Amino acid sequence: MNPELQASSQPDAEPTATRATVPMWILVLLLLLLFLGGVYFDHHSGWFDAQVYRPYASAEELDAYQPKSGAAAMLAQGKRTYDMICGVCHGPDGMGKPNQAPPLVGSEWVNTKGFERLVRIPLTGLNGPLQVEGKDWNLSMAAMGAALSDADLANVLTYIRESWGNKAGPVTADDVKAVRAKLSAHPQPLNAEQLKALAE
Amino acid sequence: MKNGTAIFLAVFVALGASWGGFVLAPEWQLGGAKQTTVLNSSELYPLGRPGEAYQGLQVYRANGCAACHTEQIRQSGVACEVVLTSAGKNPSAVSNLISTLKLNGLAKEDADAASDKITAAGGKTEIHIVASGPDIARGWGTRQSVAEDYLYDYPVQLGGLRVGPDLSNVGVREPDLNWQLVHLYAPSSVVKGSTMPPFRFLFEVHKIGKAPSPDALVFPKGSGPPAAYEIVPKPEGRELAAYLLSLHANVPLYSAPFTP
Repeated sequence: MNPELQASSQPDAEPTATRATVPMWILVLLLLLLFLGGVYFDHHSGWFDAQVYRPYASAEELDAYQPKSGAAAMLAQGKRTYDMICGVCHGPDGMGKPNQAPPLVGSEWVNTKGFERLVRIPLTGLNGPLQVEGKDWNLSMAAMGAALSDADLANVLTYIRESWGNKAGPVTADDVKAVRAKLSAHPQPLNAEQLKALAE
Repeated sequence: MKNGTAIFLAVFVALGASWGGFVLAPEWQLGGAKQTTVLNSSELYPLGRPGEAYQGLQVYRANGCAACHTEQIRQSGVACEVVLTSAGKNPSAVSNLISTLKLNGLAKEDADAASDKITAAGGKTEIHIVASGPDIARGWGTRQSVAEDYLYDYPVQLGGLRVGPDLSNVGVREPDLNWQLVHLYAPSSVVKGSTMPPFRFLFEVHKIGKAPSPDALVFPKGSGPPAAYEIVPKPEGRELAAYLLSLHANVPLYSAPFTP
């Protein structure tokens, strides 16, 4: 009989595992994989930042790709705010609506050289009789823009001054800030006469 | 049992590690997600869905829409585009310069370098950020979906299979309420070759009374009920359509920037 078989067939021999050293190459391989994993994690994980999604690898890279608020971005933002707040009455095309709001297209109140009057209209509201492009209106507008930030209001005003054929030039947040600083704490809605008394 | 303690500990660690990885870590990472603002503005995002649309989410869920539709846009890349906004005082020099430069599909540093060259020649530029990926190429969105898009939805209807198109922006693609309702009632009447099953139990067929209902569906020519009958949505149908119209995840956010 084969001596090995004979040895294993002994009934009372409980099989036991002996301790053996892990081969060095496995340790080296595991450490190498750990290192590569660490490098990959560092380059691709964004360190588990909740704001960082693929394809951005880190918060710094995400920051670099934030669009600057250029003229196009201002107009796009202005259009969103306009459609949400102003367009309801003045119409998505700025043509106004009978008995609701006068048109903004070609309006002498929009296409001004300065901003003194224009900025006040959304900030304080406008009441009473008003002539726009030779037509008489007699409505009241609430201070729809009082709750907007300077930048948002500037974007909306820029949008209405640069759209639908209007070409009156942009309004900046600083312009709005300057006018807002001149208002009292709870300004009353103005009327056309009071507006006309101001610089254009 | 031999080594009982060791086996217990090993099982405990294995299950604990997967619980930590799949439950605890995401909770740490996204559990505190809150309303954010649209990029370069103070407009809040997301706004909660209006009541009818919120009810519609439950109709969407009850009818298993997520079995065939996803609500997640993938993005695989981002690139910069240098756009000339003004040629300045020396347009020919700027146009000569531009013909030698690559202006699309640039990394941020290359876009900055190109922009600096054009500015030095007297032109004015803007750098636009453009998101790209298979879903964006299909016109399903302008940027990838991020956690904020789902903030007020419970349960989130991510979906996993695309028998039909992705619906993250269906309210932008098809903003017409009547279109949505007709599509639910008879999909192939508005989308040729659609394999979507009709959801007619969300509607009622009425005989037209003294006056037609203002809610009755307006069908394209050649489809719709016989004369003297009209199709009116039940509350569920109206809610589902309102939910579909409320699906628009297309504004730029800090975590998913692009130039609108």
